[in-house]
Amino acid sequence: MFESRVLPVKNKLFRFAFRLLGSSEEAKDVVQEVFIRVWNGRDQMASIDNMEAWCMRITRNLSLDKIRARQRKATDPIDASFDIQNDSRTPYEATENSENMQRINDLIASLPEKQRQVMHLRDIEGYSYNEICEILELDMNQVKVNLFRARNAVREKFVKINAYGL
Amino acid sequence: MPMDSKEIGQLLEKYWNCETSLEEEQVLRSYFNGSNVPDQMKDAAELFRFFESERKRTLSAAFDHDIMHSVKKTESKTKVISMVRWVQVARIAAGVLVMVAAGYFVRNEIMKSDEQSQALTDTFSDPKDALEETKKALMLISKSFGKAKEGAGKINMFNEAEQKIKEKDKNPDQDKTSI
Repeated sequence: MFESRVLPVKNKLFRFAFRLLGSSEEAKDVVQEVFIRVWNGRDQMASIDNMEAWCMRITRNLSLDKIRARQRKATDPIDASFDIQNDSRTPYEATENSENMQRINDLIASLPEKQRQVMHLRDIEGYSYNEICEILELDMNQVKVNLFRARNAVREKFVKINAYGL
Repeated sequence: MPMDSKEIGQLLEKYWNCETSLEEEQVLRSYFNGSNVPDQMKDAAELFRFFESERKRTLSAAFDHDIMHSVKKTESKTKVISMVRWVQVARIAAGVLVMVAAGYFVRNEIMKSDEQSQALTDTFSDPKDALEETKKALMLISKSFGKAKEGAGKINMFNEAEQKIKEKDKNPDQDKTSI
């Protein structure tokens, strides 16, 4: 049950955590934590309708916790110099991805948190609006508004960059 | 189903307005991942290609092994925790057991002493009968006292007689004279 229902979604969980955290190591930690929680609560697993959405929601909550912990740490003078952006790019991405891919990545990373989450779930993972509502605990209107803003912000900024090299 | 650039353009407008279905978004994705994308749609194509490449980001194959390992490790940890908890429960249970046993013995003792004092407990249900019986008992005691008083009277006679004799012994002359 665990291996057939939960493990197959690991990459979706990882990508979502990575989108929020920008660090593959931290994202991996989050996915691991999600699985430990699922494993410990596997007796109640049968009562959960949409296992995948549930896992995604936990992934989001744990990632946001990590971001908050990081912000607390950032106020610490010793850790202030630590730049999280450094490890967000793996050697593979640095060489294989084109400059534009990196630009789009940075654009999405600069979006407000909710917009970034909605865009990731819809445009990368292909979730339905209902599923996104469930994962993010938002209503349909909020999901659509955030998606609209995200898509148009990325479009405008990307066009500007390409047209004027800004 | 191949689409011309005009239809794709319309679909793209719908996409920016968040009016496309998942299926339509899939059409756009596969269109932009192909070649022959018109120049005016190059920006959109880049975006869709980015989405597609992001979808391919996966965890390493070693992750499954690692996860099962760490999951089982936490399970053994929780087992230890449950053992500790069990010991605590056992401790409380032992305390309760001692209390119950003590209570049982104390109760037994009380029962025993009750049996001993059973004679003092009620033997009559009707107060009148009880009164009659009490009266009888008191009469019996009273009679015995009466008898005892008679006996005591006799003893008194002896005492008086003894006193008189003693007095005679002390003053024989007096007696003589008096006689």
